[in-house]
Amino acid sequence: MDPAASRGALFGLRAFFVILVAFLYIPILFLAVFSFNAGDPSFPLEGFTLDWYRKFLTNPSLLEALGRSAIVATVSSMLAVTLGVLCSYALVRRRFRAKPAVSSLVFSPLVIPYVVFGISLLVLFTAADKVLTNTFGLVIGLGLHAVVIGHVVVSLPYTILTIMPLLEGLSTSYEEAARDLGASTTQTFRRVTGPLLVPALVSAFLISFTLSFDEYAIASFLSGNSPTWPVYLFAQLRVPSQLPKLLAVSTVVLMVSVILVLIAEVGRRRSERRTGVASVM
Amino acid sequence: MERQGAEEHGRRRDRWVTAGLLSPPLAWLFVFFVLPVVFIAAYSVGSVHLFPTDGTFSFDDWHRFLTGGSPYMTLFWKSVRMSLTVSFTVVLLAYPIAYFLALCTRKRKYVLLLLIIVPFLTSYLLRVLAWKVILGESGVINSFLAWSGIRQQPIEWLLYSQFAVMLVLAYVWIPFVALPIFVSLDNVDRRLLEAAGDLGAGRWRAFTRVTLPMSAPGVAAAFIFVFIPTIGEFVTPLLVGGPSGYMYGNAVNDLFTRGLDWQSGSVLAMFMLLVIAALMAIFGRFVQVRSVTS
Repeated sequence: MDPAASRGALFGLRAFFVILVAFLYIPILFLAVFSFNAGDPSFPLEGFTLDWYRKFLTNPSLLEALGRSAIVATVSSMLAVTLGVLCSYALVRRRFRAKPAVSSLVFSPLVIPYVVFGISLLVLFTAADKVLTNTFGLVIGLGLHAVVIGHVVVSLPYTILTIMPLLEGLSTSYEEAARDLGASTTQTFRRVTGPLLVPALVSAFLISFTLSFDEYAIASFLSGNSPTWPVYLFAQLRVPSQLPKLLAVSTVVLMVSVILVLIAEVGRRRSERRTGVASVM
Repeated sequence: MERQGAEEHGRRRDRWVTAGLLSPPLAWLFVFFVLPVVFIAAYSVGSVHLFPTDGTFSFDDWHRFLTGGSPYMTLFWKSVRMSLTVSFTVVLLAYPIAYFLALCTRKRKYVLLLLIIVPFLTSYLLRVLAWKVILGESGVINSFLAWSGIRQQPIEWLLYSQFAVMLVLAYVWIPFVALPIFVSLDNVDRRLLEAAGDLGAGRWRAFTRVTLPMSAPGVAAAFIFVFIPTIGEFVTPLLVGGPSGYMYGNAVNDLFTRGLDWQSGSVLAMFMLLVIAALMAIFGRFVQVRSVTS
């Protein structure tokens, strides 16, 4: 007898699962279908076309926006993962009195609405510029650097949440063995803990990358004159004639992100199998 | 004596290692997270002066906002109602999914979980856009109704309404909410349920006495993590809400980007933060983002 669900309940759960998956995917499917439709995005369909894809590939400002987001997402995720590893290691492996305070600080970006955080950084940058112009005649201004700074803050808790469980599941005996064999703290981290953490680092990077690539609210306040992809997309959404072209880009972006997620997932499993972390977890 | 010195030395070195590990992330958060929020707080009482129109130090804006039936306060409560509705719905829908994945599947568990999560990893704006295409006046639903002859007039409240905002928000957040609930349920050892069964508890009793309490932290976390972003939401209302779907987050956004009344905007933003802080103070201990007491 299955202790979790009776046969009837299991059937119900399975049916519900299928319905929910349909609910999640059908709207996305519509986007893809309409991106190949010659007319406006409404029924009946007016015939197959690849025009929208051609138009999007030859639109420099759109490609630029995608490029900007790729840069912002890469840089901010690398920073967030680095800071996240340091923080997770301290929270899991070190003993210190301020631990509760530190952990509530690092997780607090999870509970700030992005609109509030976005305007807060906007005020900070405006204030900093005012001081700098008055004293040195310098201006930092808004732009991609500001977006990166904001995205690191909001990604950081996610990287920590990804890395910490793996670190906790990792028995300290590996590290103790390394130390008994004469390895220093740094050597232990570089040769033992680090490699074992790789799967978590990859997932952490991936999570912050997707978060940053897709983030609109913060970027809308901070990107200044260099719109990231979501900011560009949002501006274009107000122009109905642009819609089909945007659907084409969306379909491509969507496919790429799905492929990336799958690659990362396969990679994570393979490395888990190699290091045997899965069995420790 | 020598040994004591060595221990003392070791402890001191230990402390430096900890400080070294923590200072980069903490410094980043202090400068780019804590400091900006302090600025907003200061701005809301006129202590920061950035534009010629900015006032001097006073609590007038706060006073106006908190007393005398400010329209923003009405808007705030409307947003709270909408967010609560969305959060309840989403948790109710995500729980059976998480339960199914965590306790009723074995080998394909993570593949199926991925299936649920993948939509969350795709563009937020695009998912909102998809609903615009579905709900619009000549959208999928209305054009289907007209084509099949069920209804000639398009259903107007589908798009640009509170309903549209709540539907889209629920759609957007379900995958994310399934995750914490799944994690908490995945920690439930099936042997515990078997033991409950052996001790005479039926499945329902085992669920209410073992599984549900064990998943409570995940549910609480899920609830909070939908409620907070949705109460500050302004993108979805802008795209599918119309005037009746206007939310508190839109007011904050408008005060900063259009009205350029940063001081009132700061009051609104600070108020939202204070409410969230209060919520976290009350419910935070149930949430248990991570139990960090190693």
